[in-house]
Amino acid sequence: MHDLKRKLKICKSVAWVTIKEYFAYRTHMLVSLFVGPVYFAVQYFIWGAVYRDGGAIAGIGYEQMIRYFGITALIGYLTWGSADWNLSMLVRTGRFLTFALRPLHHRFFALSQKIGHRSLAIFMEFLPSALLLIVIFKISLVPAHLGWFVISVILASLIHFFIAYCIGILSFWFVESNGLRMAYWLFDSIFAGFLIPLVFFPKWLQFIQFFLPFQYTAYVPAMVFIGEYQLGGYELSLPAIVGVQALAALVMLAISELMYRRAMKRFTAVGA
Amino acid sequence: MEKFTKLYLKCIKIAIAGAMAYRLNFILSTLLATILNALFPLVTILIYNAGASFPGWGFHEVLLIQGIFLLTNSLAALMFDGVLWSSMSHIREGTFEIVLLKPLPPLSFLIATSFTPEIFGGVVAGVILFSVSLSFTGIAGAIAIFQFLVMFAGGFSVITGLYMMMAAMSFKWVGNSRLTEIFDSIMTFGKYPASIFPSAIRGIATFIIPVAMIGFFPASALLGRAEGVMFLAVIPCLLFMLLGIWIYNKMIRLYEGVGG
Repeated sequence: MHDLKRKLKICKSVAWVTIKEYFAYRTHMLVSLFVGPVYFAVQYFIWGAVYRDGGAIAGIGYEQMIRYFGITALIGYLTWGSADWNLSMLVRTGRFLTFALRPLHHRFFALSQKIGHRSLAIFMEFLPSALLLIVIFKISLVPAHLGWFVISVILASLIHFFIAYCIGILSFWFVESNGLRMAYWLFDSIFAGFLIPLVFFPKWLQFIQFFLPFQYTAYVPAMVFIGEYQLGGYELSLPAIVGVQALAALVMLAISELMYRRAMKRFTAVGA
Repeated sequence: MEKFTKLYLKCIKIAIAGAMAYRLNFILSTLLATILNALFPLVTILIYNAGASFPGWGFHEVLLIQGIFLLTNSLAALMFDGVLWSSMSHIREGTFEIVLLKPLPPLSFLIATSFTPEIFGGVVAGVILFSVSLSFTGIAGAIAIFQFLVMFAGGFSVITGLYMMMAAMSFKWVGNSRLTEIFDSIMTFGKYPASIFPSAIRGIATFIIPVAMIGFFPASALLGRAEGVMFLAVIPCLLFMLLGIWIYNKMIRLYEGVGG
């Protein structure tokens, strides 16, 4: 209990420092208020043209499609993180040494940083963008089940963090890992569901997504928001898919811990 | 000009040698850039596979637009992406004096020394996508090729102008790595047939920020669908590039060194 309290205190302190640090660059975050709605506008017109005759495509109607793109854009603001880049930079510059000596797991520190950064993003990116989507594009942003949606977004954010952290850990082997981060970004942008709902992919590719972590970071919370989940011919209830998502989070946590332990065995740094 | 060309070629060799210092990373980055860019028309492919379409545009015609867009964008990025990041880094670190002290105009020096070989994968993917889609659509005639080349140069000018403006903004908006996102989002309007957008957006994309020239207009020319207004739009494209260069050179005056 005492340990938990201590950790919460550390998390709060790191998150607060991160908020203050990023608040100095608040205009950088405000870029999202232009970029997000512009990308959304493009989707709005593309799908308006595609659905010109009405009906449904891949089982999705126009209204649902527009809501899907609106909510995935907003989910992105809540889940995004740069743990991969941060860790990679620490390893490349040798500054990871200072973390290796601290009585605190670096992953916990990085997660606390993410909590701080995303807390700020709620006010600087998420809420203003949501307002723009509601006012300009008249998108309904009321989730089918608020409770399941909140849990799903928290899990999505954790999974995104664990994946990014694993990619960052690879820097212990490759030092310059831009290529690997690019590969991760490639898979994430395609299979998380940001580009297009995953039901547009061939059935076999949809099925594979159950065993990859990407769909759990955007597609799953978006479908939980809409209130019905289907992929690869399977329809799951909201508690069931959120349960699968929780399992994916645990698996990613275990993988990140295994990788971290192996990385610590080979870590070397210049003295100072 | 001869001096600049010699320097540019020398710098390209150095840039490639520098990238090869981390061979695995370079090979992986180039390979992934090719694959990543080859997946550029993924949404279009999935839309047409689902039996839907963009009104008035066949599958390979849309791919042609996106192939030209990718090729133009990658070629411009190969030459000017480094100018942006180099300017940004020098300004943030307070080391832009190094550029100002060189016996070359700052912009020429940055263009020469900022060649980015990692982007070559995008050019390869652009050539493949362009060639494959063209093999299905065909070319409307010899005059269409000439029209295409003029518009392709126009599209290249637009992206050059955008890079210059982004780099210029970094003098005022120091260290903002998200600048590129603003311009990337605007360029998205150039990736699809302009006919799907409302007339106000079409007007902006033709004459004010002429992103329609990056893919849509050159593809229309090759397909024999070019209209008078498209040729007229070449003028704002050239002006856009000149404006970008002018703004960059003006903004240099805002640079404040850290001394020392």
